[in-house]
Amino acid sequence: MAFFIVYLVVAQEVRSRSDAWLTGEAQVLAQIAEHTPRDGLYNQIVKEVAELAMQEVPDERGSRGERLNSVFFLRANQSGDILFVGPGSKEVFWRAIKEAHLQVGVPQSIRVEGWYPAFRVVLQVHGGGNPIYLGLSERGARHILQTLTYRFLWGWTGTVFLGFLISYLSTRRTLRRVERITATVARIDSEGLDERLPEPIGYDEISRLAKTFNQMLERVQASVEQLRAVTDAVAHDLKSPVTSIRGTLESALSAGNSDEWRDSVAQAIEGLDRVSSLLNTTLDVAEAKAGALPMKRVGVDLPAVVTQLLQLYMPAMADKRHEVRTDLESGVVVEADLGLINRTLSNLLENELVHLPPGCQIDIRLRPHQGYAELVIEDNGPGFPPDIGSPPFERFVKGKHSPGHGLGLAFVEAVAQAHGGALKISNPPGGGATVSLLLPLAEKVLPTSFVKAPVHI
Amino acid sequence: MRLLLVEDDLSIQRFVERALVEAGYQVDATADAKSAEALALERVHDAFIIDLGLPDMDGLDLIARCRAQGNAAPVLILSARRSVDERVKGLEQGGDDYLTKPFALAELLARIRNLLRRSSASQKEATRLEVADLQLDLIGREAKRGDQVLQLTHQEFSLLEYLCRNAGRVVTRTMILEHVWHMHFDPATNVVDVHIYRLRSKVDCDGYKPLIHTIRGVGYVLKHA
Repeated sequence: MAFFIVYLVVAQEVRSRSDAWLTGEAQVLAQIAEHTPRDGLYNQIVKEVAELAMQEVPDERGSRGERLNSVFFLRANQSGDILFVGPGSKEVFWRAIKEAHLQVGVPQSIRVEGWYPAFRVVLQVHGGGNPIYLGLSERGARHILQTLTYRFLWGWTGTVFLGFLISYLSTRRTLRRVERITATVARIDSEGLDERLPEPIGYDEISRLAKTFNQMLERVQASVEQLRAVTDAVAHDLKSPVTSIRGTLESALSAGNSDEWRDSVAQAIEGLDRVSSLLNTTLDVAEAKAGALPMKRVGVDLPAVVTQLLQLYMPAMADKRHEVRTDLESGVVVEADLGLINRTLSNLLENELVHLPPGCQIDIRLRPHQGYAELVIEDNGPGFPPDIGSPPFERFVKGKHSPGHGLGLAFVEAVAQAHGGALKISNPPGGGATVSLLLPLAEKVLPTSFVKAPVHI
Repeated sequence: MRLLLVEDDLSIQRFVERALVEAGYQVDATADAKSAEALALERVHDAFIIDLGLPDMDGLDLIARCRAQGNAAPVLILSARRSVDERVKGLEQGGDDYLTKPFALAELLARIRNLLRRSSASQKEATRLEVADLQLDLIGREAKRGDQVLQLTHQEFSLLEYLCRNAGRVVTRTMILEHVWHMHFDPATNVVDVHIYRLRSKVDCDGYKPLIHTIRGVGYVLKHA
């Protein structure tokens, strides 16, 4: 397309140049013809001048003969004599010119029999009223355009070839890098997750791929290591109860009286219940962390739920002589799965029951805060053990002397996150432990009022 | 009462069958869906107990086929899948029930009773419960042991009511939590036990025969020993 446009422009330019030459030369010749005396020499002089002019043919390459071949000069006078300078026979040219009906000073293309391509001819009239015709073959223009076409074709072919070469080389280079990545990945597949892809400097796609892949490997390796830690912990936590259950049942086999084996069987069942609850919680935490907990969200009136749960837990708290104080702002509604919230809150309360020495004080506060329902449980117990490390909510992370499985807080955090909330724990400087659970408030905020709700046992 | 039990794990099938027979039910037990379908066509069953993971067909598909044949008996689903999926929940809403493994036999029996009660003509709702010399007035929410009125909290009354309704039958802690507190989880601590101890100290006070008994490893039972 671009070539076509260039072609047209060049053709136009070439034609206007040759037309300008033709017009100019024809005027010169007309003047000469006018000022030259009409004698025998006249024809000779005009012919000489015409030949000279022809040697200045524009844009014409090649030999002089060819140049002469491409130009003609023709003058006719009233008596019908024709002065002709040019190739071939004057009759042919004269006939062609007569058929063409030229206008003075306007160049026009004329086909001449036996000549190809056409001639560009201009007509001038000098003082005597005799017409002078000067013709220029379009071969020159055609030659220029042909040259242009050839050059363009060569240029195009060259460009295309160069393009192919460049893309071939760069594709080969890219494919080699991909090949290296494939080889490394294959090694990782067979040998282990320690290997990393070579990360080339730069920001192209392959470098980014390598970097992203390495990041993914880091994560996969971390998960695998965590999984291994969890598996070890589960194995440990499962093996001890299974061992004790087995032992209990074995001793029941050899026990004499029915009371003894009844006792052993009951013990075994209790052990199995612990195993099954451990399994369930482990799977729950895994599922919650993977964001796969089935949730049915409803509007949950948190103060009501907390109060109800406290009624369940109060006798057990009282048994351990804990004093529980509550300050629950009413009307704090979150959009959540009621079952999960119940389990989450009961986990937090059970934590207090399990970890606090008798006779502690527990403060439970609930209030809306910056778009979240903030439930804070504060106690004056020994606080979180320093060996709990960071982060504290990983599965099976627990204090060395903690009796639980270390799943409680992990589950609470996973549920909080699944609801778009968070769990924070800290040991405040004054002693004790603080757990705060944040859950996003429901969109529709109900009117709230301060109610200090004393809990009846 | 005739029940159809479809469970491919033979050890589970055996002990469930034995427990059901001991509880007074007639039981047709089978291990695959094909023969279960044949049995369901051959005899009338009052309830189905169907394991989801059957070797030749998914338990839910078996239920769907039975329903398609016009069989409306209630179904108790047994499932090893822990989080019961949406389809099962849909079934549950249709009046059926599910139980995840491992389960306490006491709970299985309670759920079967529940299903059978739901499917039979609606019973006249009791307004009074009596076990030995223990009397509960459900309307006035008053409990008496002999002539003595028991001072019970709201929760304690609900707990005693639940035990009385299941008098003679063992209830697990999970069942108690579910029916008295409407919560579904297995507590890791003794929260439920503390409530039972308190209730027991009021109900089985000095001079009366103890009614609330602990069945170790399972739960509690209220019975006139």
